[in-house]
Amino acid sequence: MASEKLRGILLSDFNIQNLAGYLNNNQDEPEVEVKAAPFGQVIPLLVDPNGEIWQEVYDFAVIWTMPESVVPSFQKVLNFEPVDIQTILGEVDEFTTLLKNIQDKVKTLFVPSWVFPTYHRGWGVLDSKSGFGTFNILMQMNLRLAQNLDESGHFFVLNSQKWIEQSGKASFNPKMYYMGKIAVGNSVFIEAMNDIRAALRAVTGLSKKLIVLDLDDTLWGGIVGDLGWENIRLGGHDPIGEAFVDFQKTLKTFTNRGLLLGIVSKNEEDIALEAINKHPEMVLRGDDFAGWRINWQDKAQNIVDLVRDLNLGLQSVVFIDDNPVERARVREALPEVLVPEWPVDKMLYKSALLSLNCFDTIAVSQEDLARSKMYVSERKRKSLKDKVGSLDDWLVTLDMKVEVNELNAVDLARTAQLLNKTNQMNLSTRRMTEQELTDWAGEPGHKLWTFRVSDKFGESGLTGIASLENENNEGRIVDFILSCRVMGRKVEETMLYTVFGYAGSIGLEKIIARYLPTPKNNPCLKFFKVSGLKASGGDLFSWEVKNSFQLPRHINLVKNTVAADD
Amino acid sequence: MSDEKILYIIYAVIDEINEQLEKDQRLDKSLDTVLFGQSGKLDSLGMVNFIVGLEEKVAAETGKEISLADQMMALDEDSPLKTVEGLAQYVYSIVEE
Repeated sequence: MASEKLRGILLSDFNIQNLAGYLNNNQDEPEVEVKAAPFGQVIPLLVDPNGEIWQEVYDFAVIWTMPESVVPSFQKVLNFEPVDIQTILGEVDEFTTLLKNIQDKVKTLFVPSWVFPTYHRGWGVLDSKSGFGTFNILMQMNLRLAQNLDESGHFFVLNSQKWIEQSGKASFNPKMYYMGKIAVGNSVFIEAMNDIRAALRAVTGLSKKLIVLDLDDTLWGGIVGDLGWENIRLGGHDPIGEAFVDFQKTLKTFTNRGLLLGIVSKNEEDIALEAINKHPEMVLRGDDFAGWRINWQDKAQNIVDLVRDLNLGLQSVVFIDDNPVERARVREALPEVLVPEWPVDKMLYKSALLSLNCFDTIAVSQEDLARSKMYVSERKRKSLKDKVGSLDDWLVTLDMKVEVNELNAVDLARTAQLLNKTNQMNLSTRRMTEQELTDWAGEPGHKLWTFRVSDKFGESGLTGIASLENENNEGRIVDFILSCRVMGRKVEETMLYTVFGYAGSIGLEKIIARYLPTPKNNPCLKFFKVSGLKASGGDLFSWEVKNSFQLPRHINLVKNTVAADD
Repeated sequence: MSDEKILYIIYAVIDEINEQLEKDQRLDKSLDTVLFGQSGKLDSLGMVNFIVGLEEKVAAETGKEISLADQMMALDEDSPLKTVEGLAQYVYSIVEE
């Protein structure tokens, strides 16, 4: 799916064709092909999930309604008629029940929150009062809608109030409605398009994962090599210094969300690191960075080297630098890297960072929360690797443990996230919702394992997935997925060992694996070529189960749940 | 305010409208582009977007509120206002009133 157009459908009680046009024409990833259903048909289309429009499964749908059209009692609120809040919330519940009618027809559903026109000022000072205040009731309706959809892993409420705020007075033009039944202004559609695209990037694993930062005049003010670390502008009673501290604090919050930080800077490394580790007002210290390249080489090449070290793709990177020449260089040399324009005014750095829409995720797992620490551990691992001779010797020093489990409810969210985000070590690049994944794994002849990796430096978490479907005497590896965090440490071989062990226990004779190429999963092909499996046709690999496949000697397989089906 | 400024505003609206249109439906930024009617590229939805977009942009750029909708929705097939050049002249005349 990652390299194909995502198919989407828009349902609305007003004319939403303009949004379809914006979504189809925008060149950002991912590519989409969107159509708008005839407007004013939301309820009839939701009531009949077997209707013509639902004969195909969509990658995503947007269902955008005005509150009074799907919650009739809200019209009474607008009429200043008495209405019981429980009646209103009951109608919200009925609407969400209808939305769930199509949960098998769309992989992801976006529901913009309800708003009403900015020119309608409600009941003024009474508007937040319970019982009849439009603001009060609309908040409760939106909260109920979000709560009702919370339990679904693939239904999301989008905050359309933000689109309205960004668009200002142009949000609503009554002429658009009277002449074309278009309820909101085009600037609102553009904001919606940007948010929907950000959400689709999250769904398809295209969100950015690594922020690479310059140092001088980016993380602090001034040139540390000239001034010395004691004299850079950072903190203190100085608006610019304060702004740099705030920018660093904001970056630190990004690491809490699972994003990684890196440094690429033209500096003397020891001088720059001294500033990072000694300046009393530095918020970000060495342990906050997954890696760095601090030298006088070309920044584009340094980014390539850093990203390779971290086992990430260039498409995962955002590069932030105050220098427009460096930005232009990286943009030209590395078009996959996102290089946002950056404000000249240092006091605008924090707001520029917070307005980037390239970091969205559809779920936050424990692995996400700990990712930054994991990469710091990895940096320390590599430091040890440089001191130790061969790869095998180094791996032995790590005390690696791999825990294998069959898919279970506790791991479901993280497993679906890994399945949908991993691009490089991914045999077939299937993208599935949690429900689809559960259904698939539950079918007869299907098996899906998850792999947790840890070593003496810490937990890498649930980082691997392998799945098998078997028929007669032959099995096929459907998913073979490993996070880039642990690639190259022979977890790959451990996963194959697990699959082959299970295959032997249920009497399978042969296992095949077919590599489905995407623009990003060449590392998977490279692994299979050297895995010991027999290659044929370039993309098909096979293994005779009667042959012994060795568990890597440095791996402690701590919990092997592989067993024959009853 | 010059008639060139009005032309600039119309071209800016064309840029915005083109962001919604498929490639073969996009409007050229030239004086003889036919906007509306049987030989124009804009359908009824495109016409609404164009007229409202032009009204909003003229108000933002000149501070003058103009109302084109009623008149534009009922143009004769041979009306000069259907082309960019004719429309620019007309808008200039009412802005200068």
